[in-house]
Amino acid sequence: MVGLLLRRRALSLGNCVRSLTGYEVARNLAFTAAGIGLLFGLYSGFHRLLAYLVTVELIGRLLVWKLTAMMMLTTFSMVSISGLLTSLTTLYFSCDLRFLMVAPLSIRAVFIDKSLESIFFASWMIGLVLLPFVTALAQVSGYGWGFYAAFVVTLAPFLALAASAGIAATLVILYLFPSSRTRDAVYVIATLSLTLVYGLVRFAEPERLIRPDALHVVADYLNFLQAPTAPYAPSWWLTEALRSYAAGKTAVFWWNCGLLYGCAAAVYALLVMLASRVYFIGYSGAQEGGLRRLEAPLGTLLETRAARWLGAGPDLAALFWRERKCFFRDVKHWSQILLILGLIFVYLYSVKRLPLDNQDIRSIISFLNVGVAGFVIAALGLRFTYPAISIEGLSWWVVRCAPVSLASVMRQKFLFSAIPMTMVALTLGIMTNRLLDADPFTSRLSLSSLLVMTWVIVAMGIGYGALFPMFNVENIHQIESSLGGFVYMASSLAYVGVSIMVLSWPMQMHFRERFGKAGAWDWRIAGLCAAAIIVINAAACILPWKMGLRKLENHEGPA
Amino acid sequence: MIRIRGLVKRFGSLEAVKKLDLSVPPGEIFGFLGPNGAGKTTTVRMLCGLIKPTEGRIVVAGFDMAERAIEAKRAVGLVPDEPFVYPKLSGAEYLRFIGELYGVPLPEARRRIPELLEMFELGGWGGELVESYSHGMRQKLVIAGVLLHQPKVLLLDEPMVGLDPKSARMTKDIFLTLAARGTTIFMCTHILEIAEKLCDRIGIMIAGELRALGTLEDLRGLARPAPKAHDPPCGPAPRSDLEDVFLSLTGGREYSELLKNL
Repeated sequence: MVGLLLRRRALSLGNCVRSLTGYEVARNLAFTAAGIGLLFGLYSGFHRLLAYLVTVELIGRLLVWKLTAMMMLTTFSMVSISGLLTSLTTLYFSCDLRFLMVAPLSIRAVFIDKSLESIFFASWMIGLVLLPFVTALAQVSGYGWGFYAAFVVTLAPFLALAASAGIAATLVILYLFPSSRTRDAVYVIATLSLTLVYGLVRFAEPERLIRPDALHVVADYLNFLQAPTAPYAPSWWLTEALRSYAAGKTAVFWWNCGLLYGCAAAVYALLVMLASRVYFIGYSGAQEGGLRRLEAPLGTLLETRAARWLGAGPDLAALFWRERKCFFRDVKHWSQILLILGLIFVYLYSVKRLPLDNQDIRSIISFLNVGVAGFVIAALGLRFTYPAISIEGLSWWVVRCAPVSLASVMRQKFLFSAIPMTMVALTLGIMTNRLLDADPFTSRLSLSSLLVMTWVIVAMGIGYGALFPMFNVENIHQIESSLGGFVYMASSLAYVGVSIMVLSWPMQMHFRERFGKAGAWDWRIAGLCAAAIIVINAAACILPWKMGLRKLENHEGPA
Repeated sequence: MIRIRGLVKRFGSLEAVKKLDLSVPPGEIFGFLGPNGAGKTTTVRMLCGLIKPTEGRIVVAGFDMAERAIEAKRAVGLVPDEPFVYPKLSGAEYLRFIGELYGVPLPEARRRIPELLEMFELGGWGGELVESYSHGMRQKLVIAGVLLHQPKVLLLDEPMVGLDPKSARMTKDIFLTLAARGTTIFMCTHILEIAEKLCDRIGIMIAGELRALGTLEDLRGLARPAPKAHDPPCGPAPRSDLEDVFLSLTGGREYSELLKNL
């Protein structure tokens, strides 16, 4: 039966590939090429870092493998949490479960089918990010093709183990608290834990670990580098397997390889045994409804008053009100908000800890911060703004049939996203400028650029979201990780990069003048830069918006 | 109230609707029948502006759907075959949202929302999130939403599916009352009994073409009586009902042969 269930997936995939039009093939190839480009970018970054580390005298190799062990440990944790969150949806709330659960299939067969799906979706993207790291490691250290083969052989059980750990946690939690509300609680707790761990790791100042002078006794430092990183965790077995293969210690490699495969098989077998006892209880409980809510009095909406005051239409107010209600009632968004708060806190803490004594360098960093903050805004946009259209889901017909224009719907989505994004941008911009004590010109330029950048990135998010609508997805992560999401992210980053390049001209003139070069400020160049910025912003904003609007108008989505 | 001229919809190489010409006057209940995949839902989706026609023109309540879509949509209420509504809104909030979108004045919304919820026996559920509603409850909520803004044209795609007998009866009575007041009702259904009882005129669509159009009496004249599986081989010829008409037009003769092999 499991074979039959897996065959249906293969058939669906085959049909999906066969039904691709020429345009879709070309588009997918283009996006795949862009994805490879992104991986190549990661590879370059890793390569530079590892190439530097191996040159450190005496401890270079130790540093490289310490970093590898930490990388694997992080991957293991991320895949485990991802497995926990993914399996919550796939095992308990997938649409096809209604069909599978009433079919003459054993619970075991359904669980195996769904758990394999969870393992795949929880691990493939994180696993892919390891590829540029390992490639850089192999290139820097001069390892041959055998090293890649050893990595591929050991990666599969490693990812399966990590995801299985997350799935096991989900099974136990839903068994102990079988309710649809548990999913909400798990989302919040998992994210809160992740945020706390992230914050704690940051406050531990890990950058000191690659500065021997940061520790009082050099011996302590060497001991730290030589000690295993979480020796009983599969991440260490993977690191050891790779390290021993690289060192030609075949027996140690096979031992660790055997540990990974043996443990993966044993854990998965235990998981299936556990599932045969507890899965259905959890599934049944998860179908229970939510809590009863009190009715709100039918007064004038806050949004309606604001719209009247601003001279906007009542339809915009109604759409905004509905979006606000739905957004804040969805616990998945709460967890994301928690993560963002953690991110902002750690971001500002990192800025504060930058070892900068020179006023000019502080100002330069303040300007470059526009790029980093732009990247943060684009990443937030990918999570909140880009899915804003698709998140309408199967209820899209309500808005599509209503007497409101699609432009109005997009404007509302823009507004709903732009308000919190502006707040994040202002926090990052103002606080960074204050913490770095940037000069007034740099502060003004960086803050205004960041604000404009934020609004353009939000407009791009709505535009690209409309250009690649996905109303039939079960999970918001499917929207973010789609090809459209990738295009949006790549375009946003390209936009941020180009904007920084253009803005660096007036910054350069400003610093030349500060360093005493009279007449360095040229108004013609400044004007040219301003014109270029206007053109770039207009193009980045208008093109995806118009294309998205046209696509939505012709979209033959769900009704 | 509804005027369709030369309506065509193509999905790639598939022509789902082929040169459809149809007019439905105010106050008429028009039944749109046809086998699965005939193009009925596609037609409804074009009528309410969910999708664009490949060719042709749709005029609803005097407004061209292509040129004055907002005005046309304001005059239309849709009950789709799958009543998906925002799961994180409560029933009362959904109605409120519909009222705001369609410009129902607030005092009227305040009065009518509790009335409508009570009418569909959702009074105790108005504060509950839609995600906890059953299919039938969501269907009732969507119908309540349509009634809230009192459209001139009602487009119904299988409106009775999921409703309990009492609600189905009440909904039928509501449609008859609305039609008597001048509302145009365009209804797709597979329940022939409903079409027979409610509809003034019936159109039968097969493979994207309107093959038959008229009153039940007109259609009876078109029908070639099809033998029912349970009819005795030499029994008296029954008076053809809508089912006979439907089966004779859609090729129902074969099914009695198929039943033998069941």
